Order: sequence, then C-alpha cells, then structure tokens
Amino acid sequence: MVPAVIKRRAPPSAGDAPMMSSASLAERHASDLFAVRWNNWRLALLVAAVAVPAAIAVLPPSVSFWTAGSLCALVALTAVVAAWGRHTGGLLVAPAIAVLVTMNIFPLLWSLGLSFFNYRADRQILDFIGLRNYERLVTDPIVWERLTTTATFVVLTVAAQMVVGFLLAMLFSRQFPLRRYLLILVLTPMMLAYVAVGAFYRYYYDPTFGLVSQFVNMFTDGSFVLISSTTGAIAAIVIADAWMWSPFVMLLVLAGLVSVPKYLYEAAAIDRVPAWRRFWYITFPYVKGLLLLALLFRTIEAFKLFDIVFILTDGGQNTETIALYVYRQAIQFNKTSYSSALSYVLLFTVIVLTNLYLYLANRRSREV
Amino acid sequence: MASGLTGGRGGNRGRPIDQSGWGRTAFAGFVSFLYFLPVLIIIITAFKEHTDALAVPVKLLPTTFFGLIPESYAFVPTLENFQNVFSRSFSAGAEAQDTGFARFFFNSIFIAGTSVLLALILGTVAAYGFSRYPLKGNDTYLFIILTTRMLPPIVVIIPVMLMFRITGLAGTYTGVILLYAAFNLPFTIWMMKSFFDELSPDVEDSARLDGSSEWSVFFRICLPQVLAGIAATAVFGLILTWNEFLFALLLTGVETRTVPVAMSQTIGGDIGVRWGLLAAIETLFLIPVILVTFFLQNQLLRGVTFGTVKR
Amino acid sequence: MSTITLRSVTKRFGSFTAVEDVDLDVAAGEVVCLLGPSGCGKTTTLRMIAGLEVPSEGDVLVGGQRMNDWRPEARDIAMVFQFYALYPALTVGENLAFPLHVERLAPAERDGRVRQVADKLHLGHVLDRRPHEIAEGEKQRVAVARAIIRDPNCFLFDEPLSRLDVELRESMRHEIKEVLQGLSKATLIVTHDQLEALTMADRITIMREGVIEQIGTPHEVFTRPANAFVASFIGTPQMNLIDVAMERDHAGHAIFRYGTAALRLDLPPAAANLGKGQVTLGIRPRAFTLTDDVGDDVLVAQVELTEPMGAETLVHARTEMEGDVRVVVPRDRRVRGGETLGLRPDPLQTHVFKSSGEAAR
Repeated sequence: MVPAVIKRRAPPSAGDAPMMSSASLAERHASDLFAVRWNNWRLALLVAAVAVPAAIAVLPPSVSFWTAGSLCALVALTAVVAAWGRHTGGLLVAPAIAVLVTMNIFPLLWSLGLSFFNYRADRQILDFIGLRNYERLVTDPIVWERLTTTATFVVLTVAAQMVVGFLLAMLFSRQFPLRRYLLILVLTPMMLAYVAVGAFYRYYYDPTFGLVSQFVNMFTDGSFVLISSTTGAIAAIVIADAWMWSPFVMLLVLAGLVSVPKYLYEAAAIDRVPAWRRFWYITFPYVKGLLLLALLFRTIEAFKLFDIVFILTDGGQNTETIALYVYRQAIQFNKTSYSSALSYVLLFTVIVLTNLYLYLANRRSREV
Repeated sequence: MASGLTGGRGGNRGRPIDQSGWGRTAFAGFVSFLYFLPVLIIIITAFKEHTDALAVPVKLLPTTFFGLIPESYAFVPTLENFQNVFSRSFSAGAEAQDTGFARFFFNSIFIAGTSVLLALILGTVAAYGFSRYPLKGNDTYLFIILTTRMLPPIVVIIPVMLMFRITGLAGTYTGVILLYAAFNLPFTIWMMKSFFDELSPDVEDSARLDGSSEWSVFFRICLPQVLAGIAATAVFGLILTWNEFLFALLLTGVETRTVPVAMSQTIGGDIGVRWGLLAAIETLFLIPVILVTFFLQNQLLRGVTFGTVKR
Repeated sequence: MSTITLRSVTKRFGSFTAVEDVDLDVAAGEVVCLLGPSGCGKTTTLRMIAGLEVPSEGDVLVGGQRMNDWRPEARDIAMVFQFYALYPALTVGENLAFPLHVERLAPAERDGRVRQVADKLHLGHVLDRRPHEIAEGEKQRVAVARAIIRDPNCFLFDEPLSRLDVELRESMRHEIKEVLQGLSKATLIVTHDQLEALTMADRITIMREGVIEQIGTPHEVFTRPANAFVASFIGTPQMNLIDVAMERDHAGHAIFRYGTAALRLDLPPAAANLGKGQVTLGIRPRAFTLTDDVGDDVLVAQVELTEPMGAETLVHARTEMEGDVRVVVPRDRRVRGGETLGLRPDPLQTHVFKSSGEAAR
C-alpha cells in the first residue's frame, strides 16, 4: 500500500480498488445502482427525482424546502465523491461544495427557474411565461440606459484607479524611511465600509457645509453643488470609488515594480540607457501582466457597483447602475421573476470577465 | 523602477542606485497625507459637536494652538459622539435610550468571526483536497467556485431572500452566517490551495514513509506550514465580511443587524444626518481593520488577488 | 588610455568596513583578477569602479580621470554581471543593441555592429530569441557580447562564469580570454574560483576581509605566496600548513619539531634569516617524494583515506603530530589504508611562514 499512497496524485481508482474487486462484474451492474455508498450519485439522483416533487406536493413549504435543499446537496455531494473516485479527496471537498451548492448554486438555479415564470414575491401568482421576461428586458430602454450608465462608471472609475494606482505604486516602489507606515495610510480607504465612504463623500460634497464645496467656493465665489447635474453626480461617485480602490491597483503594480531585479537597472545605468527607455523596456514588461489583472479585476468589481451609488445618490441624477436597478426591481417593486432574468444578464457578463481574468492570471503564472 | 525614473536626473552625483532618503519620505508623506485626508476628517469629525460638524467655514483643528489659528477654524473636541453611539435621546428632552449599537457591534464581530471560521474550516479542508487529489477537470471545478465569488451580490440575494423567507432563516444568525460562509468559501479555497500547492511534497512523502496516516500528514505536516496563509485568508475574509452591506441589509433582522446596516439607518435621521455620530461609529468600526492592516500588510496582496499572484 | 587605478579606496557600510585601503592598478590590455572568498569585498570594489557604489575614502580613476562622483552612465564602462542582467523583454539582438542607442548610430551601422559581435561569440542563430529561450551558456555569451559591442574605457566582469556548469566554464574561460586579448583594454574580473583566476589573469589580486593580501602574476602567487592565507587559498589540493617549532643546527639545516618528532631540512632559502621560534611550515601536496628511508628528513605518516583524482591519487595521511597531511601520489602508486608512508618534502618547495602568517622572505 505504501507506494500507492506515496504517489501523491494517485490515479482515481486507487482508493476504490478493494471495494471494486470484492464484487464480480455481473453482480456489479445489478447492485451498483442500489448500493448505499458515498459515491453512488445515480441513486441519490433517483431518490431526489422521486422525493423532491413528492415533498413539494405533500409537505408544507417550510419543510419541503429543506427536504429539496438537502436532497440537492446530497446529489452534489455524491457526485463530487464519485468524480474524485477516491473517498479521501472527494470527502475533503464535499462539505465545502455542499455549502456552496446550498447557498449559491441551488438558489441561482432556482432563480433561473423563476425567470421563466411571472412570479412576484408579494403575491402568490406563478404563471409560466417562458422567455417573456428576457424578451422584455432586451427591449426595455431603461435596461439599456442603466447598462450605459454602468459602462460609463466602469470606464471612468477603472481608468482613474489605474492611473492613480500606478502613480502611487511608483511613489512607493523604492525603499525610504517610514515607507511601511505611509503605505498603511494609503491602504486605509480600501479597508473602509462602503457605507462609510458613501456617507462621508456625501458629507464632503454637501452644498453648504461640505468640504469640497467650501474649497471650490473659495475660488469661484459662487455656490458649488456637485451632485446637481448628471455629470457632477457621476464625477462624485467616480471620485469616491476611485479613491477607495486605487490602493488595490497600487498593491498589484507595486508587486510588479519590486519584482524587477535591481541588477537590470544597474546594467542599464552602465549601458547608458536613458530614463524613458529604461522604463519602457525594462520596468514596464514586469508590470504589464499585473496591470492587466488589476484592470480586469476592477472591471468586474466596478460592474457590480452598488453600495456607493446606493448611499451617495441613491440613483438620482441618472446615476442608477444596473445592479441598483436590479435591486429596485427585486426589492422595492417585488418583480422577482423579472429581476431574476435581469440578474442572469449580469451573471453572464461576469462569467465572461472572470474567464478572461483567469486566463490572464494563468498565463502570467506560466511566464513568471 | 523608481531608479529608472529618477536615476537619470541625479545631477552629476554618483549616488548608489537603490537608496533614497528623507526627501522621498517628505514627498510620499505629503501624498499619503492627502490621500488619507478624507479618513482623517472622519476621525476629526467624530470629536465635533453637531454644530461644529456643519460649520462654514470648516473647523479643521481641535485647538487654536495658543491663539495661532483664528477661533473660527478651531473647535472644542468632545467625546459626546462616542457616548451617543451607544445611548442617546431620540427626541429633544427625552431620556437617553440604548441605541442598540453595543449589540450591533457584537453582531458584526460574531457574524464575521463565525462565518470566517466556518469558511476557513471547510475551505482549508477542501483546498487540501483540490491540491492533493486533483481530478480531471479540476480547473473547471475551481473556476465554478471562483465564479460564485465574482457574482454580483444582487444576483445571489434575490433567490436567497426567497429561500430564507420560506425556511424561516431570514433575520437569524444561522442564515446570515451560512451565507457569509458561502460568500467567503471561494477565495478561501483559492488562497489556501495556492498555499498548499507551494509546499514541498518531500516532507509529506517522508512522513508517509515513516508510517504517518493521511490524517496526521494533514494535521501535523501540512497545516503547520500554512499557518501564515490561514492568517492572511482569515484577515481578508474578516475585512470583507466586516464591511459587507447588501446581504446584511436584506437578511438581518432587528436582533442580528450589523454595524454597516445600522450606520446606513443612522444617515436617515430626523434632524438631518448627525455627522459627528456617524463619524464616531465609523471611527470605532475602523479601528480593528486598521490594526489588522498594520500587522498583516505583507499578506494583503495575496488576499486581494485570490492567491493568484505570488509575491 | 584605458586604465583603472584605485588609490587607497575604502568603503564602509555603516560600521562595517567592506573594503579597506585598497590600491590597485590595471594597465591597458591587462587582465587582472580579483580573487577571494565570498564576502571579501571584491564585488564591492568592482561596483565602486562601475559607479554603483560610492567609495567612502580614496580615489577611483578610470583612464586617468578621477571618477568618484560620476554617475555610472558617465563613466563609459562595460560590465558583465553575475546574473548576466539580460533585459528579459528584449530579444538577444535588441539586448546587444541596447548600449548603442546613446551613440545614435545609423540603423545599418548598428545592425552591422550587432552582427559582428554576434558572429564573434557564435550568437548569430539566437538573435531573434528572448533571453529565457536560450541556453545558460548562450546567455553568458550574450552578456559578454553586450559588453564588448561598445568601445568602453574598461571592462568589468562580476563572477562571469559562476552560473555555468564545469564543462561550459572551461570553454567560456578560453573564449573570454581570446576575446579580451584582441581588445587592449584594462579588464578587471571578480571571481572566487582560483582556476578561473589562474588561467585568465595576467595578474591576480587576492583579497580577504576587505584587504588586499597579495598582487602578483599567477606564477608568483602560486610559487611565492605572501602569507599563509594566500598559500592555503591558491592551489588544489590545499597546501599543508603545519605549526612547528623551528631550530637551527650547526650545519645550516633547519630542524622543525612537532611534539616528539622532528624533521630536518636543508634550510629553505626564504627562511635563511629567521631565528628560532614558532613557525608554520607550508608544503604543497605535490611537493613530497615517497621514500622507504626512515631518515630525519622524512615525515612518517599513516594512510587514512585515499581519493582517486584520475591521473593522480590524493592521500590523506595521519602524521605523528596532530592533524592530517595531504599528499598527491601518481596513479600507479597503489596506496592502501593503514599503510605507513615515508614522505620527503622538497626543500625548494617548502614555505615557512612566521607566526604572524607572513611568508619568510
């Protein structure tokens, strides 16, 4: 047994070998389906397929929900164990998968189901309407408007974060006295609660006693109200969000900057390479990959922009993002099915972006 | 890098390439101060009385520095806001009442702590499984797991709310802790996997040769080596959960409300926003996070990128 | 004129003195090796010449010009780094052309220069590849090529061969030496490998703890080491250093006593004016003749361990005094463990060091 264990990435069959050999081939087909084993996902699926509709039909909702949920988790669990083929690997992963399935994947499937119905959380109607919700959201001009607003935010805030983050990283790329402490000052915004950032930027932007307004009024002598126009409100949100998340970009860029070996700069000094050329041909290649990662990650996050807008303008002055729009549809107007369909549009976009992110992250880890 | 930008300008001095002195500190200090200013003002505001917080022109400093600064720019610091966080009168002349903030702070600590601990236990074990027993399509599984973290919270919250309403989990600790645990799991798995992947297999193999069980290989050999990673993961999860707003807003009840939600409700007060009070809440709320940042600065990078970037 | 001169150069890092009062001259066309164990200050010395460190005291002159305060860019020096310092984002060809940009050559001329050095160092076939796509030996040649593509004031090499495997090292030693011979520039090579120093250098500078111990031709440092450190550092296998009490007898012989035994030798000329006292006797492992005589000029030792080295065999033998003696015997002389050997040192190859460590001259 020892050699099999030592081989870390053992073939999937290794753990099951004793169990398999005990049953002859003929018996296996018959007993396979009904054997109560952790990796018998077929049985679990069969039980679930029978029990879930039965439970929904017979039991009260609060009980049937739990039955359905736990059976789904059981199917997932057995499938995971079976996929690993080894009890150890599968059982290690199974609890986490079960939680993820119950709290994320199952609800998502549920809302996918709901999106084909005409369901409202405040009324007990459940009509199947097929793709009608999707049809509606594609033709809904407000959705496109919200998507445009979101895109505007994404472009502006990500661009601002990249520039500010990059400059901050350059500032901190060298060792100097007290660097560690100053770095913490710059990192703090990232650690704040969104609510606090939203609230206090509202305080700073306040037309009468806000600091920003007071500062501007010192020069213009007028009454400066930032959040009165769409442009101003967008600027207000972008400034707050970019301020909060530029340190994130800085962290990533800084990692690239400090990974440039010192001897390259020494060689460049001896080779009499001018500063801009040094930056472009030596420094930048080390930062490029991380910059792309930061760009993508922040794009995904900015696409979800919700909290700051919620607190700062609450969607006023045409600053409602798609996430806020979905929130309103779902929570304030109780259009559960419609918002489920909407959220699948978000989901799709984020999956595409995440895929890109991982592709880039993997390519980078292969290079470095 | 910086030498790339400044080395060429150094006049005719042959100073060593990678050292710079207090000049840079001064400049960086100025920039950092500006960047930190909004936070600093929050902290200062926490010590202001309501009228001072709304004063025009703004009162910047808690002292006149012995008359050096005109009195209209200075305010008298007060601790009143901090007291008011926990108990205050809600209408003029009324008795001071408990605001429930002690409870909200406890909720924030309890919910963040428990959910991160739960995610850490499940996630570390799962990460070990992913790292040591990979199967075909491992990347697909990991991708699905990461995607669940990248999802807009609003997408998840719609069905989860319905689910919680049906099961009676809405407003309970169990519900919100489970959801946060699920919310923290993906990056816990990703980060811990990257830490496990880095361990040298030789040590484990030699332990196996010495007759250790798989169980003790995990607990005695692997786990002690990734303690720093666990700390980093925990810290990052704590900060995220600590500041999370949307889930808490929609899923916590009166009893289980967390500080960010309570803070957002403080904004909509009767006599306009009580900025001093809000600032005091945020200041108190920020202290643990700042401490954590200070001590785990070096682990932060790994956290923000789900462990995909090695330092 | 391409020369390098150091005048009592000292470099301190805080309270630590890395280089102390170093004087060194490298003439045009001369190759000098800075040799020493790691941490002896040899690289710091090199970096001060390059302008990457500023000396705390003393003067650095390149081409007769005092350059203490000059930036590296202004010094017009070519250097080969220990880790080659190839620019990873550029192709080999672009790497070679990088130092030329400042000269603003016409593209055709620049390409011609690149082609020329590439041919010289057999790099023509990798010009379009990136540094991470070529072999270690090729990287090393690119680093050398990038240095010689210019017409600098002098050449500096920092441990140029330390990353290569033994075989490549040998061929590169040869190749670098050949390239340098045609250039008539002052060249300083830092190395910790004595073989590298002995084969490539016109003169060798041996450093220890920031101080120069000896400067001399490879022949000099080997045959006339200035002190016990140099003696033990240069030459493989290491020289035997034996602490003994020296006496004279009336016939002009020296008697070296250790414990109860004694060794009588014709007085080495170097020790002629030394009196009675404690000295260190230095005998190279190859300076013994095996003999069956048991005279008083013979060291008796018992074989403990043999290490065949190919053409010869290295024998570790225990003498009557404490400590081992290393002896190199021809391959055909079979030696068995436990065998007793009579070793007669060659008086002309016997070094005597005073108790201070200095060689008796």
